[in-house]
Amino acid sequence: MLSRIAESLFWIGRYVERVDGTARLVDVVRLSMLEGGLAGHDESANMVLSVVMGGDPDARVTYSDLRDRLVFDPTSASSISGSWNAARDNARRARETLSTDLWAAINTAWLRWGRLGPPDGTARHLSWARERSILIGGIADSTMSHDEAWDFLVLGRYLERADMTARIITTGTLPTGGLSWQSVLSSCGGNQAFMRSNQGLFNDRNVATFLVLNREFPRSVLYALAEAEATLERLDPDHTPIGFTGEGRRLLGRIRTSLEYRLPTNIINELPQQMARVEQMVTAVSDAVGARYFPGGPELSWTEELR
Amino acid sequence: MSTQRYRVSHTSTYDYTGPISASHNEVRMTPLTEEGQTTLESRLRIRPLTWSNTYRDYFGTHVTALETSGFHEALELEAVSTVERYDVDRERPAATWDALRSGGCRDRCFEYLELRRHTELPEDVLAGFAQAAAGLDPTASVAAVVDAVRDHLDYEPGVTQATTLASEAWAEGKGVCQDFVHATLGGLRHLGIPARYVSGYLMPDADATIGQPVTSESHAWVEWFDGEGWVPVDPTNDRPVSLAHIAVARGRDYEDVAPFKGVYLGDQDADLTVTVMITRLS
Amino acid sequence: MALFDTYPQGRAWDEMIGRDGGPRAPYEVMHDTLSRLGPAELAARSDQLARSYVDQGVTFDYAGEERAFPLDLVPRIIPADEWDIIDRGVQQRVKALEAFLGDVYAHEGQLPRVVNDGILPYELIVSSTHFHRAVSGLRPHNGVRVHVSGIDLIRDEEGVFRVLEDNVRVPSGVSYVISNRRALTNTFPEAFQALRIRQVHDYPRHLLRALRAAAPDGNPNPTVVVLTPGVYNSAYFEHSLLARMMGVELVEGRDLICTGGTVRMRTTRGDQQVDVIYRRVDDEFLDPVHFRPDSVLGVPGLINAMRAGRVTVANAVGNGVADDKLVYSYVPDFIRYYLDEDPIIPNVDTYRCVEPDALRHVLANVDQMVVKPVDGSGGKGLVIGTEADGKTLDALRAKLKDDPRGWIAQPVVQLSTVPTLIDGAFKPRHVDLRPFAVNDGETVTVLPGGLTRVALPEGELVVNSSQGGGSKDTWVLARSEPSEPVDEGSLETTEIVVMTAPDEFTEDPVRSVKEQQKQQQQVGEGAPC
Repeated sequence: MLSRIAESLFWIGRYVERVDGTARLVDVVRLSMLEGGLAGHDESANMVLSVVMGGDPDARVTYSDLRDRLVFDPTSASSISGSWNAARDNARRARETLSTDLWAAINTAWLRWGRLGPPDGTARHLSWARERSILIGGIADSTMSHDEAWDFLVLGRYLERADMTARIITTGTLPTGGLSWQSVLSSCGGNQAFMRSNQGLFNDRNVATFLVLNREFPRSVLYALAEAEATLERLDPDHTPIGFTGEGRRLLGRIRTSLEYRLPTNIINELPQQMARVEQMVTAVSDAVGARYFPGGPELSWTEELR
Repeated sequence: MSTQRYRVSHTSTYDYTGPISASHNEVRMTPLTEEGQTTLESRLRIRPLTWSNTYRDYFGTHVTALETSGFHEALELEAVSTVERYDVDRERPAATWDALRSGGCRDRCFEYLELRRHTELPEDVLAGFAQAAAGLDPTASVAAVVDAVRDHLDYEPGVTQATTLASEAWAEGKGVCQDFVHATLGGLRHLGIPARYVSGYLMPDADATIGQPVTSESHAWVEWFDGEGWVPVDPTNDRPVSLAHIAVARGRDYEDVAPFKGVYLGDQDADLTVTVMITRLS
Repeated sequence: MALFDTYPQGRAWDEMIGRDGGPRAPYEVMHDTLSRLGPAELAARSDQLARSYVDQGVTFDYAGEERAFPLDLVPRIIPADEWDIIDRGVQQRVKALEAFLGDVYAHEGQLPRVVNDGILPYELIVSSTHFHRAVSGLRPHNGVRVHVSGIDLIRDEEGVFRVLEDNVRVPSGVSYVISNRRALTNTFPEAFQALRIRQVHDYPRHLLRALRAAAPDGNPNPTVVVLTPGVYNSAYFEHSLLARMMGVELVEGRDLICTGGTVRMRTTRGDQQVDVIYRRVDDEFLDPVHFRPDSVLGVPGLINAMRAGRVTVANAVGNGVADDKLVYSYVPDFIRYYLDEDPIIPNVDTYRCVEPDALRHVLANVDQMVVKPVDGSGGKGLVIGTEADGKTLDALRAKLKDDPRGWIAQPVVQLSTVPTLIDGAFKPRHVDLRPFAVNDGETVTVLPGGLTRVALPEGELVVNSSQGGGSKDTWVLARSEPSEPVDEGSLETTEIVVMTAPDEFTEDPVRSVKEQQKQQQQVGEGAPC
């Protein structure tokens, strides 16, 4: 298929998943506020923005700043608004390849989000955004042929999920700010799944291990990485090990096995570094995928030669 | 029969302010072979070059189309040609207005009678030409127009550019050969004399030592239609077109004969350096 | 009969209703069908039509807005013998234009022979903004330059078909021919059963065959693509429909790259060579090396790749010199000159303002004529003298004197009319016809039917959609002897089986299987290729 279309699909996958992940990230802070009272949530917000989202550590940020930047800022590719805009833009360009239902779902979500507007009731916004994102994923899975086009969509989705989950997990490790592992688990929607797998043995280490390593829970980091790897496998079954072709798979394989086979104790001790590595890997894999399937770099324009 | 043989070396170098990844261009730097001129050998070297193709364009000019892919910071073109110029016996009856104004002539030469962007001049300037040529036959009219242009324009490089229009140069009162030619074309066409743009080279020193390269530059002059054929005239220099003139391309104006045109990928700027060296070989 | 009782007779030739007030033979069935429908049923079918259009997503861009294309439910019907004339006439016209273009761009000797022999002034060729010197000397591989054409026809007051305009650059509208047919099939299934209407849905098959035949070096398995300006283009719907129906990739300029003199498209499996480009991008935007340097819709190096013989561009670059309105007036002469035949379909009488006698006549009678700019399209700049006020006419006279070469004029022709549903009643509205022809190098195939464009405002003679007109399905009746095999999967009646509500518990497995077998739904028309 055309590289341009493949690239659009890849980014639709990433941006739609980013909506979900960002909503959950903001939710961690919100849930923590509910649990721990009003103390320290500005600090949480600050921590989240600086550490987790790579912002300015010295800036003094409030919860509403967090909300504005990550939820409503249309100019930021990290915010929910920015993500809806980008997803819809890419969907329009790839409209011929999307199923009618999928295009309609993305377009409608973008339209409605635009009408929700900044205001209060963020909990309503966040849950709406999460639902829409999941709905779009479900429509993609059930109305598109599971061919190359769908593979790019799914690849983008799982790479983004690994990245966002890594960030969400990092919030649990923050020294100050009162973010609890309970909030982290809740924001990932993993309460019941955790209970079933650990039979209720709730402690910080178990929750972290669950969110990073559980092979069955679809929002765990390992699960997302494995799915991304499987997608790359489908895209290029010939296994050429050299060059960009194998680079993405190699990187994913490395991070996955390093997470899988290290003892759980080590993981938890080095959690922030490990999660940062996951984020870096996702960027590297994304670049490798781009170089392999949609090379050409940013769109340049042609300039007339001097006469 | 008098002949002159030359070697012409024309080098153009484009230096980009940063690496560019691709470019598509056309080069018009190969001298013609026609009556009075034989190009014995012509080599065009381009670095870097991915692909090229040659053809003759609508006006009969030799064109090399080229493509360069892969990152590069400079593009160097070098055209080296060996050209022989020889006298041609051209006895023809003098041009008449009747012949030039006939429907057939006006129709077939339509392209060379039209004043377009580059050759358009203000009404009063064109009226001035008409006045200067009042009552004269075509041949004398041509001389009158050329004189009027030389009277008004001072030869001065650096004031105008390749994209300058005749009207702009006229307003400045200064220009280079390209501007002299455009203005002359405007005047001649206004009078109803078909005229076209010729680009090429001029050996500045006809008596130069054989084998001694002389620095020169691209040159442009005019050819006008006398009813049967095209007659060359050089408005920039106070001398007739001689064996020292070597023709490369023809067209309606500069746009049709530009030695190099095209596009490159990226928004970097470019600097152009041009060197022309002509050597008498005989 | 009630709906047609007050149908007004005008000067124009009405396609359906003859001078005696009764329906012409080809329309008897349709007239009967329509007359039996009461206003309620008529309104219902009209709504259904509109809905089916919106469902198909058939829209076009009008003044920046996406709108459903207005399709009127009364079809225009052409009997077999009349179509025969149109078919042969359009073929002849295309062949003459091909010969002309070949003469203009690839002539032996100094000048095209049509100029040498005094048929056409050279000025008309070289002064045309569409005469592209960049492609002079280029010879297409199979000699075809006009792969797709739309020859616009009108019928005058005497019922004679005349050519109004030739379109050989990037003619559009064939997607509406296909969509209109689908919509009407669902709206009047009874008419399709009673009449033998020639099909139009295999157009993409003909187009693909012609495009493949145009590949360089007679490549038997060429890669064909449709080049579109993109989603913002008003005809994008058509580009994507044709690409889909032909089963070829729809690309934009930025998907293509010229390397090593070949054109390639960037795919996830690497750069794939492209052999034939069906381009829906105008010449001026195709190649920044030769045309507009600021164009982002084209491919730098494309013209040089064409010249190197590595890629075919359809329609050819530079065709616009042949659909110039001034050249139009010479086409009957071309038919005589190149083909040694008499024109089968005449032109509309045309006055070339560049000729002094013609200019005099036009200036004196401008209030009785239609005056058109030579370089206009889509009806822009056109003035209908009978409808213009004094100020407009004065301004027009000034423009004519200032630039006579830029204008032609024709007597106002009352285009034929077809009953059109306006506010619940049938009113006569002017129509034209754009048949589409495909040239594969050996035959020129004219699609039976074409796009009938209708001017919706009363008395309006300008029918182009860019001014807000509408369209009608066009039915060409087959001859009574079966000349074409009936196509399976097309136009069969729909059997709809109503499903019973699912039971909560399917205790009887055998019964549930039987339910499944009953679920047979055949779509009215075969799915697109």
